[in-house]
Amino acid sequence: MRRLLTVLLLASAALLSVVTPAQAHNVLIGSDPENGASLATGPARITLTFDQTVRQGFAQISVTGPGGTRWEEGKTTVSDEKVSVEVRPLGPAGQYVAGYRILSSDGHPVSGKVTFTLTAAGTGTPAQAAPGAATAPAQAPDLSAQAAEAAQNGGAGMAVLWIVGALVLLGGATVVAMRRNGSREETR
Amino acid sequence: MTATLERAPEAVSVRRLLIGGFVSGALLAVLAATTMTAEKAVPGIAVPGPLVEYGLPVLRVLLDLAAVAVVGLSLLPRILGFDDPERTEPVMRRARPAAVTFAWAWAVLALVVIVFQTAQLNPGTVPTPALIAQYVSRFGNGQGMLFSAACALAYAGIGLLAVRFGEKVPAELRIVVAFFGLLPIPVTGHAVNSVWHDPIMISMELHVMGSAAWTGGLLVIMLLVARDRELLAAVLPRFSRLATLALALVSLSGLVTGLASMALTPGVELPGALLNRDYGLLLLAKAGCVALLIPFAAHIRFRLLPRIAARQGTAVVAWAAAELTVMGLAYGFAVALTTASIS
Repeated sequence: MRRLLTVLLLASAALLSVVTPAQAHNVLIGSDPENGASLATGPARITLTFDQTVRQGFAQISVTGPGGTRWEEGKTTVSDEKVSVEVRPLGPAGQYVAGYRILSSDGHPVSGKVTFTLTAAGTGTPAQAAPGAATAPAQAPDLSAQAAEAAQNGGAGMAVLWIVGALVLLGGATVVAMRRNGSREETR
Repeated sequence: MTATLERAPEAVSVRRLLIGGFVSGALLAVLAATTMTAEKAVPGIAVPGPLVEYGLPVLRVLLDLAAVAVVGLSLLPRILGFDDPERTEPVMRRARPAAVTFAWAWAVLALVVIVFQTAQLNPGTVPTPALIAQYVSRFGNGQGMLFSAACALAYAGIGLLAVRFGEKVPAELRIVVAFFGLLPIPVTGHAVNSVWHDPIMISMELHVMGSAAWTGGLLVIMLLVARDRELLAAVLPRFSRLATLALALVSLSGLVTGLASMALTPGVELPGALLNRDYGLLLLAKAGCVALLIPFAAHIRFRLLPRIAARQGTAVVAWAAAELTVMGLAYGFAVALTTASIS
């Protein structure tokens, strides 16, 4: 038992030094406009600030106004811990909801919303919501940033190849060994 | 001899009780918790469909259960000892192929989980091989699962050698490979942005290893050894020491990890957050499970163990089945905790 525990402790010590620990879970710490704010004129941009860097890709912000109208313009951009999207000039007064879904640096999707109220009607018109395209377009893939992230993580292509090879080899061996083992049990 | 014993109707119902309680406890807890933690609909944003939202936690908990079985079956040779091969070899002859089967299930589940994780990130699309490859190459979660699957496959290979050559394949090797496969799984869960990140991760790894050894050992002993009174009298006291250690380790590391993660998350105030956040409620549910385990464990340890050591018949399997059901619940809550939002 003591030998076993020693082996286990050594193994876990070795592994902890190898496995890179997960990054943390992002938390929204601020926004412009603030949640619950009352504004006389519509904001030109909505910016959400998280407690740490947001991962490139997958981030999206949508702005929904009274009656389900859509007001965001263009793609969502990510710059370190700030995620932002441009907003069209707003129209009718009322409550607007900025919904977001970003990819936390630990790889989990984080979604939520920020609500603000427009007190004086503007002159803008909502975006033409194409039928079937009810959701905001995901952030345009920023190729250089993605490549930098991928380089940090190493390629996965070879790993997949190795795994498929191992699956085939082991699958065959399992079938053969189980069959042999079974016939040995029967003759016993 | 083993074959006739195996088919005794009593043995079959015992097995159903143990496995059924464990698995259904885990599934029940994870489904109940997921209804609470599932991503809330946000206007204008696509969220994953119910198949992904519920399928992913269910697959994750099944993966955990398969891994627990593999760890338990790997520990079995060490718990049985090598003094009495006449008695232990028939048990091991059934344990070794079972370990290979569960390792296979573990590997396949880990690969399917990667597909579901990809689908979770890309709501509304069916993951293509290119998307999956991109997910694995960019995210630590995918790589962790892939590493876990690779360890499970390596285990299956070593397990096959053990099926063929018996205990000439060192038990330690199998144990180490099984634990190696277990370690990347918590890394795919939450973490906090603080200098305490590394100590919290280590505490989390200890938590996962301790609970797997405890649960897996109990499950395997009750399934494979409990019928043989003579062998049980030799084995259970030995396991009991390991279980006591695991109980202390699991409850301490669990409290440290959970409370520290909450305390270090911006905007979360303890102790109020324990009651008004999903994460806090799940943490309380899990702590409740461990608290419930203590009387079961104490009953087996202090009331039943002396009688088992005296080779008397006891209801130890029924008590263990109840304990395993609670352990299953704890595993279900654990999986929900890894994806619940702390804030």
